[in-house]
Parts: sequence; structure tokens; C-alpha cells
Amino acid sequence: MRGQIFALLCGLVFMLLQTTIFPRFLPPEMRPNLLLILVIYLGLSESFLRAAFLTLLLGALQDVFCGSTFGLYVAVQLAVFLLIRLVSDRLNLESRRLLLGLITAGTILQTVLIGFLLTTFAEAGPVLWILLPALPLQILSNLLSGWLLLLFLLMLQPLLGTRHGMAGLPYQSKHHGA
Amino acid sequence: MRDFLKRHQIPLLITLLVLVIALVYSANLRKKTTTTLFERAVLTLTEPLQLGIDRTGTRIKSLWNNYLWLIDTRQQNIATMRVNRDLRARLLGMREVVLENQRLKRLLDFVEADPRKVLPALVVAEDASSWARTIVIDKGLRNGVLEGQPVVVAEGVVGRVIKVATNSSRVLLVTDASSSIAGLVERTRTRGVVRGNGNDLNLEFALRNDLVEEEDLIITSGMGGVFPKGLVVGRVAAVQRNKFGLFQQIKVTPAVDFSRLEEVLVLMDPVE
Repeated sequence: MRGQIFALLCGLVFMLLQTTIFPRFLPPEMRPNLLLILVIYLGLSESFLRAAFLTLLLGALQDVFCGSTFGLYVAVQLAVFLLIRLVSDRLNLESRRLLLGLITAGTILQTVLIGFLLTTFAEAGPVLWILLPALPLQILSNLLSGWLLLLFLLMLQPLLGTRHGMAGLPYQSKHHGA
Repeated sequence: MRDFLKRHQIPLLITLLVLVIALVYSANLRKKTTTTLFERAVLTLTEPLQLGIDRTGTRIKSLWNNYLWLIDTRQQNIATMRVNRDLRARLLGMREVVLENQRLKRLLDFVEADPRKVLPALVVAEDASSWARTIVIDKGLRNGVLEGQPVVVAEGVVGRVIKVATNSSRVLLVTDASSSIAGLVERTRTRGVVRGNGNDLNLEFALRNDLVEEEDLIITSGMGGVFPKGLVVGRVAAVQRNKFGLFQQIKVTPAVDFSRLEEVLVLMDPVE
């Protein structure tokens, strides 16, 4: 429960950063999507039900501050989470490079899904001409933010402790070497 | 049955989730300007935080600009004084024009065309995505703001209110891809639909035979019922006329600089 509340608080702080701080310094296409990084991380680190519940809540939170239709980011974040979950069993979660690779894949997938949903159902035609040219910068800013967040997590590791399955962090069992 | 449910628990749960979310999304597509309870609660809870962060940011920025970053200030001051002197001289001439205007209006029993009340509001946050163009303002239901009301600045049209919470509202900017307003080329009276494309605007469905030129002013036509007639939308940046087809492609530069939006005016409902 404490972990879930912490994840939600992180989501709220990320949302405040994305709506108030980033717009002061960065053009729209260079603003990182921190909630996507959080959803990918939760998808790799938490149990299925807990991560699915958190993904839905974070998606809904993002919908309050993005675009005009409620439900778009709930659907998109859930799709990203389910696909991450589908492949996570076959991946070495301790690898940081892999985590950055998943952030790249997640950004591309999210862009494609938003473009598809908006052009198919919402008749927001020119949205593809906004999304596609911005994709390389989006990937770059998400990668940079993911890397910085991972460094921050590594700094906090002595405080948080480690448990099995925390993506990007090397796990050492208590019984290691015994 | 129970065994089947237990065995396929996860795929069934995923299918159910996807179905529910698709239903939620499709239901909300039809009512874009309806604020759900969840949206209202989150907007109400986060408004003080956003306002606090925005004010702190503004203070830090003003401290930096007013006390630390003062390169070229003297040169700018001299230039401003010179402009100020010219403007004062022109103002003296204008006063006479204003008085004459007032006199003529009284004579004609002039009635204001759009007697709307305006509500000033501060921009406290922007859209969290890279593709949508919305802003959050610090006025909401408590101040009488309602979904659908137009938002403007002195330079022109900003957008319209799409979500309202107690103390804050979200405004869909005219540059958003899902925004469209009825527009008019002021000089030729060519009608069209102004659609956003992220940073600029396009005037769609403008007849090819009408000779629209660069720098022509685009104003709201008043059709559609959201924006009153005559508000400035932008200026024509480029016109492309193909040999065939009914319409011409017109690119429009918005009159408002959306990257520097700090204060806006909400046009309240017309006074009864």
C-alpha cells in the first residue's frame, strides 16, 4: 500500500513538473513524458494487479492535464503496460540499457497509439503532423529523463533497499555468497 | 465455470479492462466539454499547487530579469524614452478624436455590439503532452466560468473553456489540432474554418476563386455561436491555389504569441 501511494505521489509530482516547470524552459516537443517512464517502471517492478491498477490511475491523472478527451491516456498507458508486461518475463530487468531501450519502444508505441486513436475516432486530422516530427526529440528527452531518474534511484538505493525485480537496479540476495 | 474463470483469470481481466476503457473513451468523445467528477476533483486539488509553483517561478524570473540580467538596459531605456516622447505627442492629437467619437456615438444612440462581461485570469499551467495545446487558468465555477466560453487577449483569440473545476479551468487553444472555429478573411469576406495544427493555423474550406493574399487579416465570423464576430485570429502567412479543386490552402500565423501567454480574458455570457 505504501509503495502504491508513493507511486501515485510520484505521478502527481511528475504531472506538476510537466504542467508548470517544463513549459517555462522547454518547447512542447522537448518536454519529457515522465508518467510514461513511471508506467514502464511499474510494469517491470510491481505485481500485475497492482501495476495495472496504478497504470489506470496514472493514465486518468494524465488525461486530466492532456488533450480534451478523458480516457485517451488511460487506454494508451494500459496498452503500453500490457505490452511491457508481455515481454518482461524474457528480459534481464537488472540491465539499465534495456530499461532505456524499453523507454524508446514505449515512446514510439505511445505516439503510434495516440495518433491512431485520435485520427480514427476523434477526427483530429493534423495531429499526426504534430506527433511524428516531434517523435525524435520526444525519444531523446524521455531517454535523458529516464537516465536521470535512474541515477536518482541509484542514489536513493541505500535508503530504499532493494528487492527482487526492481528494474535497472542490481539485486543482491541476502544469501548471496553464503 | 469457476475452473474456466480461474484458469483464464488474467486474459479475461485484460479483455474486460480494455473493453471498459474503450467504452469510457468513446463515451467521452461525444462530450468533450463535460467535466467528469474525477477531472473536477484533480483540477481542484492541484490548482493551489500549480498556482504556488507558477507564482514562485514568476518571482524567480522577475528577480533574475529585474535585478540580475540587466545587459543593454540603459540602451533600451534611452530607446523607450524616445518612443515614449513620440507617443505622448500622438496621444495629444488622439484625445480630440476620442472626444469627437464619444459625441458622435451619443448622437447615434450607439449600443455596444457585444455587451459581455470580461473576467481576467492568470495562466497557471500548460498541457502535459507534446501534441495537445491547452492551458489551465486560475478562474473556475466559483467565478462564473462555464464550459464553452471564449477566451481572448488584446491581440486576439486564445481559445475556449473545455473543463471547469471550482477554482480553475482548462482552455483549448485555437492552435490545438482538435480546435476549429468559423473564420472570415476581413478584406475579401471569404468564409472558412480555422483549424489548429500545433504551432500555426490553417484556413480550410476557403473558396479557390476568392483572391486571398498574404498578410490578409483573419477574424472570427460569429458563426457557430462560441466566438463573437470580429475577433482577430491571425494573418495569412501563405496561400496555395491548385489548378483544380474547390478550395485553396491557406496558412495562418496566429495573432497571439502562445509561448508568452500569462494573462487572459474570459468572455462571460452576454449581459441580459
